[in-house]
Amino acid sequence: MEEAPIIEMRGIVKIYPDGTKALKGVDFSVKQGEIHGLLGENGAGKTTLMKILSGMLPPTDGKIYVKGKEVKFRSPADALANGIGMVHQHFTLVEVFDALHNIILGMEGHGHFSKIDVEKARKKLQDLMNELNFQVPLDVPVETLPVGVQQRIEILKVLYRNVDVLILDEPTSVLTPIEVKELFDVLRTLKSQGKTIIFISHKLREVMEITDRVTVLRKGEVIGTVNTSEATPQLLARMMVGRDVVLRIQKPPKKPGEPILRVENLWVKGDRGEDAVRGLTFEVKAGEIFGIAGVEGNGQTELIEAITGLRKIEKGRVILNGKDITGRPPKELYNLGVAHIPEDRTHMGLVLDMTVAENSVLGLHWRREFTGMLNSIKWVRVKKHAEELIKKFDIIAPGVDAPVKSLSGGNQQKLIVAREVSKEPLLIVASQPTRGVDVASTEYIRNYLVKLRNENKAVLLVSADLDEVLQLSDRMAIMYEGQFVGIVKPEEVTEEQIGLMMGGIKDES
Amino acid sequence: MKADRSMISSFIKPIMESLIAVVIGVIIGAIVLKLSGYSPVKAYTALVKGAVGSAYGWSMTLSAATPIILTALTFAISARTGIFNIGAEGTVYFGAIAAIVFTNMFANPLWGLIGGIIAGILWALPAALLKVYRGVHEVISTIMLNWIAFYTALYLVLGPLANPNDPNKTLEVPASARLPLLMRGSELSLAFIIAIAAAIITYYILWHTVLGFELRASGYNERAARYGGINPKRAIIWSFLIGGIMSGIAGATEVMGRPPSYAISQGMANIRGYGFDGIGVSLVGRNHPIGIIFSGIFFGALKAGATYMQIDAGVPLEMVKVVQGIIVVAVAVPGLWDLVKKVVRR
Amino acid sequence: MIDMIVSILLGSLTAMVPIVLTSTGAVVSERAGVVNIGYEGILLMSALFGAMFAEMSGSPWIGLLGGAFVGMLLGMLHGAITVYLKGDHIIPGIGVNILALGVVAFGITAIWGTAGQHQVPSNIRIQPIINTPYGGLSPMVLITFIIVFLTHWVLFRTPLGLRIRAVGENPEAADALGVNVERYRFLATVYGATLAGLGGAYLSVDWLGVVTKEISSGRGFIALANMVFSGWNPVRALIGGFIFGFFDNLSVWVRTNPAISQVVPWQFVATLPYIVTIIIVAGIIGKVRPPKWDGKPYKRE
Repeated sequence: MEEAPIIEMRGIVKIYPDGTKALKGVDFSVKQGEIHGLLGENGAGKTTLMKILSGMLPPTDGKIYVKGKEVKFRSPADALANGIGMVHQHFTLVEVFDALHNIILGMEGHGHFSKIDVEKARKKLQDLMNELNFQVPLDVPVETLPVGVQQRIEILKVLYRNVDVLILDEPTSVLTPIEVKELFDVLRTLKSQGKTIIFISHKLREVMEITDRVTVLRKGEVIGTVNTSEATPQLLARMMVGRDVVLRIQKPPKKPGEPILRVENLWVKGDRGEDAVRGLTFEVKAGEIFGIAGVEGNGQTELIEAITGLRKIEKGRVILNGKDITGRPPKELYNLGVAHIPEDRTHMGLVLDMTVAENSVLGLHWRREFTGMLNSIKWVRVKKHAEELIKKFDIIAPGVDAPVKSLSGGNQQKLIVAREVSKEPLLIVASQPTRGVDVASTEYIRNYLVKLRNENKAVLLVSADLDEVLQLSDRMAIMYEGQFVGIVKPEEVTEEQIGLMMGGIKDES
Repeated sequence: MKADRSMISSFIKPIMESLIAVVIGVIIGAIVLKLSGYSPVKAYTALVKGAVGSAYGWSMTLSAATPIILTALTFAISARTGIFNIGAEGTVYFGAIAAIVFTNMFANPLWGLIGGIIAGILWALPAALLKVYRGVHEVISTIMLNWIAFYTALYLVLGPLANPNDPNKTLEVPASARLPLLMRGSELSLAFIIAIAAAIITYYILWHTVLGFELRASGYNERAARYGGINPKRAIIWSFLIGGIMSGIAGATEVMGRPPSYAISQGMANIRGYGFDGIGVSLVGRNHPIGIIFSGIFFGALKAGATYMQIDAGVPLEMVKVVQGIIVVAVAVPGLWDLVKKVVRR
Repeated sequence: MIDMIVSILLGSLTAMVPIVLTSTGAVVSERAGVVNIGYEGILLMSALFGAMFAEMSGSPWIGLLGGAFVGMLLGMLHGAITVYLKGDHIIPGIGVNILALGVVAFGITAIWGTAGQHQVPSNIRIQPIINTPYGGLSPMVLITFIIVFLTHWVLFRTPLGLRIRAVGENPEAADALGVNVERYRFLATVYGATLAGLGGAYLSVDWLGVVTKEISSGRGFIALANMVFSGWNPVRALIGGFIFGFFDNLSVWVRTNPAISQVVPWQFVATLPYIVTIIIVAGIIGKVRPPKWDGKPYKRE
């Protein structure tokens, strides 16, 4: 007789207040003691489903059963009380507290007003860490600890509360290959102790490696559940995307021209005063796409901000088309031919409260073609410009006077790309250009970047999506701890070599 | 189309919320009146009669609206830039003083205005620079500066600017420098037209110039503004300067345009309070110059009607300040329209 | 010489009470992530109502409690708007300040029939417990110190304090662990306003003994500056409170000693507390760090 599932979700529907249907009637069940993968693209609904399971969000409809009993969660506390805990993609740690206090928060022991028994908690945690065979420093503020350690604190937080089911949301997106291996060892230990694990990911290879079964979601619906041992990456990819994925973009060979961007011995500090970029030197030539791959958090953000005038350069130079532009502010850079598609479209690339028309000239609004006497803005010309962008890039928008926040993620991103390209730049800096963007817009944007390269522009691409970098780049570098581990041509390097480089190891062979 | 409906409702909703806030203020004010032993009906009737029941009443309403429209613009410009400039109060004092000094030196109203403008610019600088170069929160700095301005102005008013012929006020603005009256026998002067013009200019600056675009972008999202080639520091400084000019003009026009005194009174009573009233006007006017004109006239009516209410119904005129305060608190409640809809549906 | 030092010491301790109480309250509120700039208005209204309750009951202590009660109500209003309705944190405070101007002006006339000022009868004021030839010391000074140390202890050593600090630094983290973010933010807000209410009543029922439209004189904002200066730490707020208290006392003293005007216009001395506040805040920026989610409404996404 088949064992009853430990978790069963039936007919889960989630409609957000703005009308978005995130989940359209999902049935999902997990067996006790298994590692169950939840696979899908950005926006498929995986995180939403698990946020419902972990009590963070209420479902619009549907039922949840834990160990056969129906439950209704009104908060994460309810879920925890039922043995379900979630480790989020973006850590929910109080940075100024130490690990010990982060873990015991909410479960300190006795009443509100009595002194916290730190020693007792410390002993309990030490026992737990010994059981699991991994250690974390308990007494330093967690903001000083590396990301891999912070993640372990998150896991400890959940285990301290005796959960039976552990949900991990994209846990490897911030880890190096070595740290991923360590994480998987921990997961296997937990499995051997009888815990159940739900592993959310969009990374096929990892899902294949660690899970027992996989459920694939696409656009808010379950496509199917398979035993991992019987699946292949191609099968899973097809289930995720709904068609055979075209893994290669058409890229005619091109001879690159003169260097447009030259970075010499660049040193940039991060937000906490650490050296985020350490002595980087490289070039981007006209007619080429130079890609930077690597796990996020290795200095890519700081590098891009330094080149685009948004962050102070401590040492070194940046040269554009022969001109030294080190330390110049964004306005001057834009006037000299730099365009920037930023990694954060909602908090940087667009002013969400402004209209499509207003956003279409953000970064160009001072140009002669849009202004008149006495510093005035000629809105007629601005709106015409916006309409041209919409038409040219097939952007779906209610109108140029609509607030830009009414556009979908993909259309917002297309608007940004359209705007930046309309500056007729020499250099396009594109940071995570297709993150969180639907498949059609992703394809459009990637093809457009290649088009720019064919038109002899210089394109600097930064992406945490390794496949994207491999497909698009003429040359690529892997960034690790503020430096390039290697600059290679995508076709000349193996996956294994890349994996090693992302972990900081340069293959000398 | 869905977007059109949301665009229209995003326009109507704020107006509805201000109206609801006014209604709430009136209702709670009535309760307070009743509890204090006065007749709300008598009080409000007198209030309305005094404010808009006659041409004279209207002239008092509009002249009361004048300075608070200007100080409201100060707050609105700062709010649109994402900061809270509460320094109008102190700037008004210096604007009035500058006007008295300049008009006594050059007997021309234009010089009085210039004095007000210069005072506004100069007094705006400390708060602006403290914010931009030392990161001092403008709420703290502008309030401190208001008090510094108060005592400094008080010293000047009691000392160098005291009127040798009248111990109750300062030197007067000479007759040739006074603003012409719009209605004989009233207190309504050209100052009102200046205030309206200032509101229209503010509208133009905010929505039809590059500077205004940069101010608004900085106010919505500083990071995106920086990315967009805007210098948020520059935007903040401009915001303070333009705001300062508005309040400086408010002080100047008060002494240049208010018969019979045409001076600052003892204890500065006739130029105090405009800063805070202006903030209320701006909030109820949704920080929009056109809204401010209407809201300013409304608050001016409250003030003008208050004196009449005190005489006719015996209610202390400070009562309108209570109503004012309640309206402002009500406006601070987000989603007032939705809340009221929910309650009404029950 | 000694008499001057003791007199200055006593005067500064006396003046620091409303500032320290309000700062301590503000520290707790902002540690939980709620900004309130309406303390000025709370001080004003609790000064009025504190005096009213004291005179109605005949006991100044009832007056103090009454003031604290009014503060509590205003804190609940602020908490409702900012915590539960997710409103802006600054605007309701502005509203309360404006409301206070009206309520106090109207209140003085409506309750006591005088215009602008009301003297609280001296038999209904708090009597000093220490009395020296150079000045007296009110029991409220001692009570203030006790409140500060208790608050500090609870904030940094108990689960309640841990949770309050957590919801101000990372409410998402606290929420995920089952801590009710809204409840702790609301409580912290109310606590802050209650302490300010106590401080306001102290102004009328104890130290200054009058109710006027301007009795708070910017102290609500000086208290916020002190909160920043203290690094959001109640015990450190005592230091800043003493400094501000020193200048505040000096400014009050100068007005009652017109002889000083021969040397320096009294108005200049009156501006000192405000100038000092600006200098201190400008100097401390960059050296202290506010709670990460201070002033940001939290909604579970």
